[in-house]
Amino acid sequence: MRRLLSLVLATLLISAAFPAFAKDHSVEATLFKNPQCGCCENYATYLRENGFTVVVKPTHELAQMSRMAGIPEEFQGCHISMIDGYVVSGHVPVASILRLLNDQPKIVGITLPGMPQGSPGMSGIKSGPFTIFEIGSPSPQVYEID
Amino acid sequence: MLYANSVALSRRKLLSVLMTSMGMGLMPASLGAAPRNRPVREFHLRAAANRAVPDARLSGPTDVWTYNNSVPGPELRVRQGDRVRVRVTNGLAEPTTVHWHGVRVPNAMDGVPHVTQAPIPPDGNFVYEFDAVDAGTYWYHPHYRSYEQVGRGLYGPLIVEEPDPVRADRDLTWILDDWRLGPDGLIRDDFGNRHDMAHNGRVGNTVTINGRPPAGLSVRGGERIRLRLVNAANARIFSLDFEGHAPTIIALDGQPVSPHSPKDGLVLLGPAMRADIILDMHGEPGSRFAITDRFYRGLEYQLSEFNYASTPLRSEAPDWKMDLPPNPIPEPLTRGASRHEVVFNGGMMGRGMGAGNSGGMMNMMRRSGIWSVNGMSVEGHFMEPFLMLDRDRSHVISMTNATAWHHPIHLHGHSFRVLSRDGIPTRHQEWQDTVMMAPREKIDIALVADNPGDWMFHCHILEHQAAGMMGVIRVN
Repeated sequence: MRRLLSLVLATLLISAAFPAFAKDHSVEATLFKNPQCGCCENYATYLRENGFTVVVKPTHELAQMSRMAGIPEEFQGCHISMIDGYVVSGHVPVASILRLLNDQPKIVGITLPGMPQGSPGMSGIKSGPFTIFEIGSPSPQVYEID
Repeated sequence: MLYANSVALSRRKLLSVLMTSMGMGLMPASLGAAPRNRPVREFHLRAAANRAVPDARLSGPTDVWTYNNSVPGPELRVRQGDRVRVRVTNGLAEPTTVHWHGVRVPNAMDGVPHVTQAPIPPDGNFVYEFDAVDAGTYWYHPHYRSYEQVGRGLYGPLIVEEPDPVRADRDLTWILDDWRLGPDGLIRDDFGNRHDMAHNGRVGNTVTINGRPPAGLSVRGGERIRLRLVNAANARIFSLDFEGHAPTIIALDGQPVSPHSPKDGLVLLGPAMRADIILDMHGEPGSRFAITDRFYRGLEYQLSEFNYASTPLRSEAPDWKMDLPPNPIPEPLTRGASRHEVVFNGGMMGRGMGAGNSGGMMNMMRRSGIWSVNGMSVEGHFMEPFLMLDRDRSHVISMTNATAWHHPIHLHGHSFRVLSRDGIPTRHQEWQDTVMMAPREKIDIALVADNPGDWMFHCHILEHQAAGMMGVIRVN
């Protein structure tokens, strides 16, 4: 378990140093999820449908992983994906991920807090814009409103 | 072994340091002053924070909270019909209480702060006294900030022996728990964080049996073991696979049940639940069999194992009977019973999410109000009853789990029959005090409300309880 976490942390640290790669290939995502959470599986399917190669890893350590990634409690998504060195927390739409991978900003990643209805992988109808935040500061800045 | 790496060593050491001082604190039973034919068994429990230095390489000690300096607390073992008197001393820096889980005690002895008693202040005492009316496997734990007090190690077994128990070569108690330890070997201090509260609770990363990292169990061919399983974890659900062996369940939550094999051979134990099982050991001398916990898909692990000695005890399994005598619980009548509906809601992916009263998802992420019982989300123990049951009448409570998560639902002061699941009658009509509800499942339970008072009714995933999944049922 600790090995897993240190891997995640190492990835976090490395992400600041090495810019993006592999624009031409299918992007790999590792999705860490609660073993009992069904919507996270739906989100993995959504990523696959959009050309990502997804490995799903169940874990009991999500609270700790979000904390280590520097996501304040009220900004946490329900699962964490590691994509190209970035942390993508929650049900973030693919357009925002692609923009992140394309722009390569010097941030830890992005998060869509909670589990908004109508977001990718979730049921229901979108009732308002999704506010996606940057990860990396104690009071996260808005990354994008979708 | 579970987490067989270098980290596990320090954890192992941590836990063995914690548990070295087992066995103290059990005061001898009072010899005098016992009324005729009903001995009084006296015990003393002292809850206190302990600091242990788990590993010389670490900079600081770890906080654990214990009864009588041990995890688990001492096994309180009495006989059915005994009067039990337990003086509890609070050596913690915060208030506490003790709840006698599953024991049908008088309301004032139930240990629920602000509902049945004032919390025991630091350095305070409280004397609990009740009759052990039912034989079986029970346990005790605090009911005050239990998500941290239980999570830090405050719990212990309470075994009430039958006058005429089923025969077994050994009668063992396994209290299962898990701990969330950091890489430094210390208990992580994130009790009650929002993620745990809104998902499946504080599931740890280090499982223990009787407070120790599980070692193998030495057994002999032909031996019969009565194994009393208690799940004391805050949130972890166990589904135990005894490789090559067929456990027979003889009691659930302390109450006898027709001896039977569980579905798929797996013994399912939600938080606070107990199962008494009979294991007939039939392996070859020197053989080993894994005991695997299969509940969380993709996170299965070996909990323990059977290690067979070189010489068997006997050549064939004994044919001793396994039926336990029933406990004196009044039988509910389902025809003519009062019927009540209880709906549990909330949590991530809950139907009420994002809609309704206020800030939608952001509200959901707040600590309180994440879960609800019949639309009410209660924090703390100051609450009015949401359900009234006429005393000495039969009642059927139809429960709906409208959430996407499992919930072990516990009623205080009574055992109830589990009548049906999703409309299908249960095969064994088992008595339980804590019933596991699967996501979206409907369960009907029945009881005679013969114990007057205000009784807690709550999810025993302690983070769910703290985040609103509880209520009070009044028997009047």
